[in-house]
Amino acid sequence: MKIKKFFYSQKAAPYVFVIPFILSFLFFWVYPLCSTIVMSFQDIGPATSEWIGFKNYSKLLRDPTFRTAIANSFEYMLGTLILLIPFPMLFAVLMDSRLVKAKGFWKACLYLPALTSVVISGTLFRLMFSEYPTGQMNVITSALGLGTFKWLKMKSTGLGALLVTACWRWTGVNMLYFLSGLKGIDTALYESAEIDGANSWQKFRYVTIPLIKPTTIYVLTISVYAGLAMFMESFMLWAGPASPNNIGLTIVGYLYNRGIQKNDLGYGSAIGLVLLVIALIINIVQLVANGTFKKEER
Amino acid sequence: MADSIGKKMGMSAKNRLLSVIATAWFAILAIIIIFPVFAGLLASFRPGTELIRKGLSIDLDVSTMTLNNYIYLFSGNADSQKYFMWFRNSLFLTAVSVVGTLIVCYIVAYGLSMYEYPLKNFLFFLVIATMMVPFEILILPLYKEMITLKLIDTTAGVVLPGVCGASTVFFFRQYMIGLPKELLDAGRIDGATEYGICFKIMLPITKPAFAAMSILCAMGAWNNVLWPMLVYRNASKFTLPIGLNTLLTPYGNNYDVLIAGSMFGILPVFIVFLCFQRYFIEGMTAGAVKG
Amino acid sequence: MKKKLLASLLSVAMVSSLLVGCGGGSADSGAAAGDGAAAEDGAAADDGAAADDGAAAEDGAAAEDEAQAVTTVGDPNGTHLECWSFVEAHNTFYAKMVDKWNEANPDRTIEVTFTTYPYESNHTKLLTSLQAGTGAPDICDVEMGQVPNVYEGLDTWLYPLDDAMAPYAADMLTSRLDAYKGSDGKQYGAPFHVGATVQYYNMAVLEEAGITQEDVDAVVTWDDWAALGERYLDAIGRPEGKYWTSVDTGGVDWQWIAMAEYGEDWTGGSADATANVQLESVKKMLTMEQEWVNSGLAEVSPDGYVDLEAGFQNILDHNIVSFPKAMWYMSRFINYMPEEEGNWYIAKCPVFEEGQNCSVGIGGTGTVVTAQSVDPALAADFLCYAKMSPEGETMIWEDLGFDVCNTSLWSDDSFAHDESNQYNTFFRNYPYDVLNEIKDQIGVVMTVPISPTINEQMCNVTLNDILENGMDVDEALQAAQDIVALEQ
Repeated sequence: MKIKKFFYSQKAAPYVFVIPFILSFLFFWVYPLCSTIVMSFQDIGPATSEWIGFKNYSKLLRDPTFRTAIANSFEYMLGTLILLIPFPMLFAVLMDSRLVKAKGFWKACLYLPALTSVVISGTLFRLMFSEYPTGQMNVITSALGLGTFKWLKMKSTGLGALLVTACWRWTGVNMLYFLSGLKGIDTALYESAEIDGANSWQKFRYVTIPLIKPTTIYVLTISVYAGLAMFMESFMLWAGPASPNNIGLTIVGYLYNRGIQKNDLGYGSAIGLVLLVIALIINIVQLVANGTFKKEER
Repeated sequence: MADSIGKKMGMSAKNRLLSVIATAWFAILAIIIIFPVFAGLLASFRPGTELIRKGLSIDLDVSTMTLNNYIYLFSGNADSQKYFMWFRNSLFLTAVSVVGTLIVCYIVAYGLSMYEYPLKNFLFFLVIATMMVPFEILILPLYKEMITLKLIDTTAGVVLPGVCGASTVFFFRQYMIGLPKELLDAGRIDGATEYGICFKIMLPITKPAFAAMSILCAMGAWNNVLWPMLVYRNASKFTLPIGLNTLLTPYGNNYDVLIAGSMFGILPVFIVFLCFQRYFIEGMTAGAVKG
Repeated sequence: MKKKLLASLLSVAMVSSLLVGCGGGSADSGAAAGDGAAAEDGAAADDGAAADDGAAAEDGAAAEDEAQAVTTVGDPNGTHLECWSFVEAHNTFYAKMVDKWNEANPDRTIEVTFTTYPYESNHTKLLTSLQAGTGAPDICDVEMGQVPNVYEGLDTWLYPLDDAMAPYAADMLTSRLDAYKGSDGKQYGAPFHVGATVQYYNMAVLEEAGITQEDVDAVVTWDDWAALGERYLDAIGRPEGKYWTSVDTGGVDWQWIAMAEYGEDWTGGSADATANVQLESVKKMLTMEQEWVNSGLAEVSPDGYVDLEAGFQNILDHNIVSFPKAMWYMSRFINYMPEEEGNWYIAKCPVFEEGQNCSVGIGGTGTVVTAQSVDPALAADFLCYAKMSPEGETMIWEDLGFDVCNTSLWSDDSFAHDESNQYNTFFRNYPYDVLNEIKDQIGVVMTVPISPTINEQMCNVTLNDILENGMDVDEALQAAQDIVALEQ
């Protein structure tokens, strides 16, 4: 009887509610994460595993390919931050205005790529960025009189292709996040700004941007780790984790190459943990700088 | 609803021009974005050898199009049966994981938003932390764990690790902290238990968030490749993305089925999206994400 | 109060039964669990499918004998084996061989369940199960690039095939078997094909330029071959975009040929040898390729490799008319370039110096029997029967179009000149005639643990630097050697 009473008490209820999370956290996060950490200090052999201390990590420091992977992932992440935050925000503001007709249709179109399986969108983009003259990008550039390019062989165009693929997939999704943020802004604020004689730009600058900040932080946070952990886009564009001069190699791509293709689980785990640490540091610094941890929730 | 630009009721000539420009802008954007899918759709009406011959091209010549790939897909032969087996498996897996994820995440988010207790903020921090762990680094140990737990080759093995999705919990929680807490007290006065309040009073008013999340979860589950590919052993359980992946081999790709099958595979998620779109936007609105 | 408790317990039970239920149950219980929209789609999908559930689909496939993602074939009373592959056509082939095996061995019948996985998960799953010591299939296809990983466990993971292949060993091409031997000298993998490199020529185009089959047959050295290329380009007036050949930056086939011709091997030939990419043969080949690119005789293959969509297009557009490639490339002609039928001629590859080997076995799938098998001896016997016996090899040639390793068939007229075989009729000459000619000149380059690193470095960096960016050959190879040495 006592147990039952406790179970129904207002004190116990929240703990009962969060039990699924605690279980899932222990089973599917803590355990695998711990074994990843252990493996990163081991040389995993066919039958036995040998404890090798920090050898995997010291090898990482000397590994030029890993440096390339980190540089690529950072460049890609910065690119997505530049392209996938301001533009979707602007589109959302436009979409939210009365100026645009047939909104539902455009939204559906912009959202379509997110619904498309990576298996097929990757194949389509690989064919589009083919260096052969019939590749769509080359058809376009030669029609503009720019000639043809070896898109997936050069660093700049390779990164460009990755960013185009990323923009294609995520512009619509990010726009919807911003749209939701905009809907939460109190209309009265715009009205009072108007009374104060603000023009459209000033309203955007002094009302929209500050008030949409929580959404921006959310999008920024997910973009940082999505950017650093990008793999599928690169895998599909180059039909595998290998690319000319490693221009498309990312941290997770290297993890895949080492951990799965070459079956070196110890080294792969070390790569994964470095990624985790980098992503956590950037996001914590960013969240603290944006004041997210300062105020308790509203 | 707030309109940040173009606020005036009556449209001036200048605004009408702006309106045309803005709409045209989205039209152009939509065309660019639809383009690859459209090219794929055109390719699906031609034999795979044509794709090799001409590349991915915008060839609108109807006379060279055939329905052969789709006829083959629907012909009921071995390939076709296999395709629809993948399709049904995907529908099943998507349904199970959407229903499971929504219920579990709702309950957890409820616990994280409706009460005040010492561990609350710590638990919420853990939720955010799990959001930042790239899934790829957990895959291998998780796979071994699934073998030990005898969950390999089961739908539970595919669904359970993701059932308490951090971003879904986060979203529900953000939605629910905006709901009036007075409802809880009212419920308690009426003699409802804590659990009764959760399922009978609060759940109905959280519907918009459910609609929004069902789209996002369905999308994720429908297109999920990596994890189901590792967990499923028995090919009769393979889902659509895994199946389509078997058509891409180092020894050549089966383009006929691949392109037509992928195009047809977009359909279900697109339909779900169109059905829930209205709720989706409303759900997002009410849940407006606060960092 | 009681009622409330019951209600909440019920709802918890419902959630858990939903989760547990989907674990135990299989796909048949399916779509009913979905919400409105999903159920609707489910119905739409069912309209399209002829069969309603998994079991019916299986029967249907057995009747139709072709392609099914999962199939169980053979005698239900026989020993049950499991077989994985990442290429569906391979499984279809094994399935046919199961029936033949059961007919020939009524006392040792088998029933085999076949599963076709995506490429990555086939190998990931095999490796994880081998490491875990449980869950591996009896028989599994392993792609050449993954062979070093899978062979790591030697006979604790795999079952040697030496005894099982004894009846066929004398006829098998030894250089090919060697490529699938473990570091302990035991045979762990059974090959599908030789993958012998040959030179493909577009005779139809060459004839228009006044070059005859005799001219092609007269080619012995790479210099002869390049001279013929110059003659061809002169004859067609050197139009833009037309080349004699294309050199790969995304594949090492050319370097392998060069090594085989000089009898060298950049892996050192075994797992413990020191890898060395700065070989004379490799340098010569790369220098030659670079000169051809500079002189306009060759282009760099579009998207880096002839075995990709753009490569096929390039061949279809007749931008290149001659290139070396393994025999299995014939299937690319059949599958992706059917309009080229009757145009192409197959000849042996040129050499640097007369008397050298002129071919090398490239690529391939080594099929292994795991030590976890319920009856490894039986599995090995079946595997060797399927992949090495004349019956099996005949079917490999007919169904898969591979150049089989059982040399006793090469000169068998009913096999090598069979006019009902599409590979025999597609080309201007019989592929096996060429194979017979080069029988004793097929070299071998080993695939060992360092191989993936060498390939990666070559395809990702070195070949691009040399052929695309014009870097000095010695310099680029030195850089490659530094990276490879770091990994050893």
